[in-house]
Amino acid sequence: MADPHELTIEELRERIRVAGITIAENRLAMVRKLLTDALAPVRALDSRTIRTVEPAVKFVPEAEGGRRE
Amino acid sequence: MSDEIAYATIRELGTRYRKREISPVEVTRALLERIEKLDPILHAFVTLTADRALEDARAAEVALRRGDENPLLGIPIAHKDIYLTRGIRTTGGSALFAEWIPDEDSTVVRRWQEAGTVLLGKLITHEFAFGIQFPGHKFPAARNPWNLDHIPGGSSSGSGAALAAGLVTGATGSDTGGSIRGPAAFCGLAGIKPTYGRASRAGVMTLSWTLDHTGPLARTVEDCAYLLQAMAGHDPADPASSRVPVGDYLAPLRRGVGGLRIGVPRNYFFEGVDTEIQRAFEEALETLRKLGAEVRDVRIPSMQRAHSFLLILVAEAFAYHERDLRERPELYGEIARERLLSGALVTASEYTQAQRIRAEICAETTEVMREVDVLATPTTPKPATPFTTAHDPELGFPRSNMAPFNLTGLPTLALPCGFSASGLPLSLQLSGRPFEEGTVLRVGHAYEKATAWHTRRPPV
Repeated sequence: MADPHELTIEELRERIRVAGITIAENRLAMVRKLLTDALAPVRALDSRTIRTVEPAVKFVPEAEGGRRE
Repeated sequence: MSDEIAYATIRELGTRYRKREISPVEVTRALLERIEKLDPILHAFVTLTADRALEDARAAEVALRRGDENPLLGIPIAHKDIYLTRGIRTTGGSALFAEWIPDEDSTVVRRWQEAGTVLLGKLITHEFAFGIQFPGHKFPAARNPWNLDHIPGGSSSGSGAALAAGLVTGATGSDTGGSIRGPAAFCGLAGIKPTYGRASRAGVMTLSWTLDHTGPLARTVEDCAYLLQAMAGHDPADPASSRVPVGDYLAPLRRGVGGLRIGVPRNYFFEGVDTEIQRAFEEALETLRKLGAEVRDVRIPSMQRAHSFLLILVAEAFAYHERDLRERPELYGEIARERLLSGALVTASEYTQAQRIRAEICAETTEVMREVDVLATPTTPKPATPFTTAHDPELGFPRSNMAPFNLTGLPTLALPCGFSASGLPLSLQLSGRPFEEGTVLRVGHAYEKATAWHTRRPPV
């Protein structure tokens, strides 16, 4: 049975088309494996339960001019 | 030249210089001869700067006669070829920059120069510090002095090979997912990725803004401390650079590990680890216990998701390289190009989710580090792989024990902790709290003093 988290070759081709790039036919398997592995933790995630990435900017009041970090 | 000089530590060289037993010019000439003899086999250097090295060495001799006490005076070093060097070719390991000569130094290059180091040259790197160097590339791949058929690790491959072969005393590396610690592990060296923001990245070619770190490799932990001391500190030219004051990295080395708490995250870091690495790691823990450290198991559940770091890496790397990838793709190595292009296929939502996972990993790690001073893990699950295995493009990017600390930005040291039955180095990884490089180096130094792994020499 296919892994539900796996990036299918059709999905990969569609992403390549949307991105407007060219990937050699003989390297599609390599790119597919790279992305499938990297995406696995994200695809297994319930995005409603994970931490936010705020704050995008943080001010340090004691620094000169309210420097941003 | 004797191996004694080729493998001398920074402290040993400094002592002998000041006793006038040997001079920086003599050491430099000897190393240049050694490079001439061994580098055609090792391919560690991409550019040799012999004239510059002798000029630096003569300047160091003058400073020594003046009584200058800088510990890096006359110390022979080389830079990974993604560090910009004024007037010296900086290739980034790429055909795109094969003949590029920058008109300024990176901050770290300048700081080491001001400390009185002797620049022997530029060290080969994997193309733009990314992935593996495949056959047919513009520059030949560096080879591992412990076994020429095996990779030296990367992307700071030349740094690892040159140090292990006794061609330099210190080298720079950069670390986005383990590129300092991997070569250190595979070549039997010490290498530290400092806290994110501790060492400047200004004038160093970018791979991934939020994951890139600069740092030193050397043959001992103490040498790393000397080199990091001269490298660390605020730099307005690097937007990520921290204003946290730099501590003394040498003084804590004398304190030992008595009373320190070492946590071993038993999940994630031990999956797929070779038996002999597992054994060497457990023996290292036992050594640290005997030295007075308290060792306890900890858990960081979110580490199971750490491989999502690769999404961040390829997405940011594509953003950096996009224009050249679209306009001059033929100048990239084929495999590196296709892997960089994969970053164009990551959606905005996926990149954001990967950053949310990162935030979770950072929060859980911070929590664990309230209870322990240092985390210990095997640096890599296996010793250096043969080129024949590493050059299989379908291999992909295996799970990494090092990348989690690029996500968290914590200071992390790799150092030798044994050898495989086939004679390849094995490595221990130690991570500390933010800006507590001194503690990490202290534990590493105590372990190193109690063992002899770092004194073994490769058969080159």
